[in-house]
Order: sequence, then C-alpha cells, then structure tokens
Amino acid sequence: MEGALGKVRRVVTHPIFVRLAGVAVGAVFVRASFDKIMHPDRFADIVHDYQMLPLLFINAFALVMPWTEITTGAALILGVWRRGAGLLATALTVAFMIAIAQAELRGLRIECGCFDVSGLTSSEASWGLFIRDIPLLLGAVLVWRKG
Amino acid sequence: MTQTASDQTESTESCSYCPIAAGVSALGHWLVTRVPHGVRAAVLVCVALAAGAVYNAANPLGLPWLPSPGNRVGIPRAYESRLPEINAAEALKLYEAREALFVDSRDAKDYDEDHIPGAQSIPMREWGKLWPKLKSKPPTDRLLVLYCYGSHCGLSTRQGKALLENGYSKLVILDYGWAAWTKAGYPTRKHPKGAGS
Repeated sequence: MEGALGKVRRVVTHPIFVRLAGVAVGAVFVRASFDKIMHPDRFADIVHDYQMLPLLFINAFALVMPWTEITTGAALILGVWRRGAGLLATALTVAFMIAIAQAELRGLRIECGCFDVSGLTSSEASWGLFIRDIPLLLGAVLVWRKG
Repeated sequence: MTQTASDQTESTESCSYCPIAAGVSALGHWLVTRVPHGVRAAVLVCVALAAGAVYNAANPLGLPWLPSPGNRVGIPRAYESRLPEINAAEALKLYEAREALFVDSRDAKDYDEDHIPGAQSIPMREWGKLWPKLKSKPPTDRLLVLYCYGSHCGLSTRQGKALLENGYSKLVILDYGWAAWTKAGYPTRKHPKGAGS
C-alpha cells in the first residue's frame, strides 16, 4: 500500500505532471476571466450578491479580480514565476470556495459568477461548485509547492 | 564571470546608458531568480491592477472605482446620470400625480405579500427567463420608478441597467426602496390609505 502511495507521489510530483497541472489550472483561470473582463458591471452585481465585501470596495474588486485571474493564468501557462502564480492561484481558489460556502450556509440564492456573468450559461453558487473547486485547489497547491 | 565583469566595466566607461542597462538587467535577474514567491504573487496582483485600470479607463462601460452616489455598485460611468435616484417623498408625488409606473423588482412572493398599489411586478432575479416572455411590458415612453427591498439591495439598479439596454430612457430608482416607502407610512396594497390610517 505504501509502495503504491509512493508511486502516486512520484508521478504527481514529477516535473512534467506539475507543469501540466500548471497549464490546466492556468487555462481554467484564463477562461474564467473573459466574461468578467467583458462585463465588469455584471460581475460587480454578482460580487454584491455574495454580501461579503463593503459596498465601497465592490467596484474596485470587480475591476481587479478578473485581471488577477488572467495574469495568474497566463503566468501558469507560460511557466513564468510558476510558484508565485501557484501561490496566487491557491489563494484565489480558497477565496472562491469560502465565498461559495458562506453563500450556501446563509441560504443566498445567487449566481456563482465563476465563468459566465452575463446570465447566458450561469450557474447558481452551490456545494456542487464547491466540490468542483477542490481539484483546482489541489492543482494550484501542487504548482505552488512543487512548481 | 571575471571576463563578464571586465566587459561590463569597459562598456560602462564607453557608454553612459550602460550602467542603467546593467542595472535593469541585474534587477531582471534578481526578479526572475531570487524574489520570494509571495512577492512574485504580489507583483502579479500589481500587474493585474495596472492592466485593469488601463482597460477600465478605455472601456465605455467602465465602472467608477468607488460606488455611484447612493452606494449603488456596478453602475457603469455612462449610466450614472441616466439612473437618477429619488427619495420616498418625491416618489409619493409621482404616485399621487399618476405620472409614473412603479416597477417592483423584488421576488414575486414579496410582491404578492404587499406592494405599492398599481406597481407592476418584474422580479429581477427571474429577469433572464421572464423578460423575453413578458407580454405586458411597460411602455417605453412612460416614466418608471424602480424599487426593491431597501438598502444593500441592487435589484432595482440592476433592472435599471437592463431596461436601459432594452430601449427605456425614463427611469428613476427609489432610494432605499420598499423599506423607505413603508417606513414613511405611504400607501400599500394592504394599506391603501397608508400605514396607521
């Protein structure tokens, strides 16, 4: 059993696997940023719905967050400052998971704002999305620690 | 290394810009190899901040960095003047003069419970599904007073943006919405002559 775990560990921490994980996490971040960059006002509405930030900071957050996502994603894909970008991706993913969890616990019926913010294919913040973020978090942590 | 150092010294003597170039190069090398991951993450955030600022300045539908007057978030700069706010007393004047159609942006169950008499319910949370199928849309040339729950409710301003995009131009937002209207004791469907009457 321990041998199997060791083998998994060797595969997961192999530089090629870590590199691929970085590209995959980066692609998710870049994709997630597009609609938010195109529609900052709608993203601000969704951030407002989460009821986590003071009103004063919501517009500024909505303007900077998508660009942080695309910058992080691009760095991960290109392999530039991979561990720094992995750290940022980890922090962002944890923040997303906290936002979704508190929305669920408070019973807020709101759009996720994960990928689509213009209401075309948007999904509601839910435990399903929280679970979906776990592989993303694992990938980001892997790149941060082993990148 | 010694060779490189002597080359640098020589070029420093022959070119006044070279120390700057060497400095930039050394800074670049330091940034790429020695900067802690946390600092690199912070630098990436700064790059994002700069890119966001430039893009927002050039975007016609860019947002003000601080919320619009009345703490309304998510209102593009271009829409701010097109979605003015009125207080409850001003809204009452419009109501009594029958000069405006009131639009209730709250959820349907809250509208059913009570609402401003004559208000049309268009729940903003159902906008995407509801609006395309809505048969009795408000006339585009009528003044619309949009209201939702109260402070920290963005539904009416969000509906204002959506209506602007659908060709409506005479829109006002009732500041503090239903909370302000009922606090002032103004008429509701349950209390046609106002609370306390």
